[in-house]
Amino acid sequence: MFKKVLLLSLAASISLCLIGQTKTAVTSKQAKIVDEINLSEEDIALFKEQTMQKVEEFQQYIKTLGSKDEPSEKRDMAEKEALKLFYKGAEMETSYILPDSSVQKIIRPMEKYLARLKSLPYTRVIIKYYDIAYIREFTKGPDGKYYSTATIIQEFTGFSNDDIIYKDITKKNVEIIIDIVEDKFFQEKRWKIYLGDIKATETKIANP
Amino acid sequence: MIPLFTGHKNFGAIPLIIFFNVLVFNISLGQTITDQSKSNENIFLVKTKQFNEFIDRFNYNTDFYGNRIDSTFMKKMPREKFIATLFDLKDERISTNNNSSSGNYNETKTSFIREVNKNNFLIDKYSANIIAEARSKVIFEGKPETVYVFLNQELVGRDMIKWVILDVRGAILNFLKTDTSLLRFISPSSNETDFINLRRAMEDIDHLQYFAFKDYKVDYLTVFFYLLNQKRIKFEYVEDIIYHIIEIPGWCIKVKEFNRNEMNSGWLISDVMKNNLDLSDYLKSLK
Repeated sequence: MFKKVLLLSLAASISLCLIGQTKTAVTSKQAKIVDEINLSEEDIALFKEQTMQKVEEFQQYIKTLGSKDEPSEKRDMAEKEALKLFYKGAEMETSYILPDSSVQKIIRPMEKYLARLKSLPYTRVIIKYYDIAYIREFTKGPDGKYYSTATIIQEFTGFSNDDIIYKDITKKNVEIIIDIVEDKFFQEKRWKIYLGDIKATETKIANP
Repeated sequence: MIPLFTGHKNFGAIPLIIFFNVLVFNISLGQTITDQSKSNENIFLVKTKQFNEFIDRFNYNTDFYGNRIDSTFMKKMPREKFIATLFDLKDERISTNNNSSSGNYNETKTSFIREVNKNNFLIDKYSANIIAEARSKVIFEGKPETVYVFLNQELVGRDMIKWVILDVRGAILNFLKTDTSLLRFISPSSNETDFINLRRAMEDIDHLQYFAFKDYKVDYLTVFFYLLNQKRIKFEYVEDIIYHIIEIPGWCIKVKEFNRNEMNSGWLISDVMKNNLDLSDYLKSLK
């Protein structure tokens, strides 16, 4: 697959140089590249598996970030590494259920969300993820990237010493993007998975 | 096929299927579902977690694990029963153990399921006839307000998809008022006076539509874009979504997310009704 992408990319780059430098020409050629480079069904199936690995990686970083027992260097590292998983500009939307049952949403840049997670006012937190996730099929966008969404569930418990002072179950919908990145060293292009925006919804517990 | 779910080692398929068979049986007896004894993981599995999953289940493509439906599943849960689980079973019109249940709605629902099953009607995931109504919070001149943004999917090229805005509605966009007590018009000979009266007409700011051509209709989307452009409206976020699906011949279903920690939760049918309007007329009907 990578060879196919590489060959197509090189061919497209050569054509680009030949065609000229007007903005219109470059734009139309880019559109052609988008049309030409496609993921096969097998590739997409493979990426679906890799998506789960990325999501699990992110979950692990979240656990480290929230864990007060971990050394601050390790937590800082987790924050940096977690950010690398995301597409530039990704945001986190968090829903809160207010006492009157209305819902308030706050949207933060991912950097801010992760930094905030590191400084939660609990002496200890337990973050548990369920062993399952739902990932929808990938759909190609007009920019040639492939898009999907993974749904995971997180149980969060915040302690003050031994007392639970906060507990919630949150459903997270994580946007997944497969994009072509250029490796300048090897002068090749390859597909890479990124995480995108995340919508976190606190699950309402049913009335008895 | 790659399963949509990963790592479901803790869950046995058969108990779940049996549970749902019992569940559907119970529904037919008019009982609502509240099964708090099931673990949260099981709830997550059965919950319709994404709209995409709703369509896969509606089309009888995938089971609770996201695996392709096979003959064993079909035997235990025919499509009619499976679609019945995709309704909001806490809808008072369905529940028969209270006084507010509606015989009409139950009949419509049954007739819909029967027709879908009989004709093997399917929903095309990327159909233009799936309209997302996004109830959105905006700040208009410093105050929080609500607008409804309507979107559908557009095919780009051969295989690329994007969501596009079709229309927008909201009280703040209804800037013109109806008043038939006065006859407003620009007089027939006003061209000879270089339309001096145009200034007076344009000062009647609540009723400007009466000076426009007879088929004039306010284009709320343009009004909305203009207000955003002028920074008089700031878009905050989407509060919730209702999908209007007019893809099934003769019918419209509304699907929304029910956020509760129960098996019958997530993206479910909140309403079903007869419909023969096409996309354009259906949008116009959404006032």
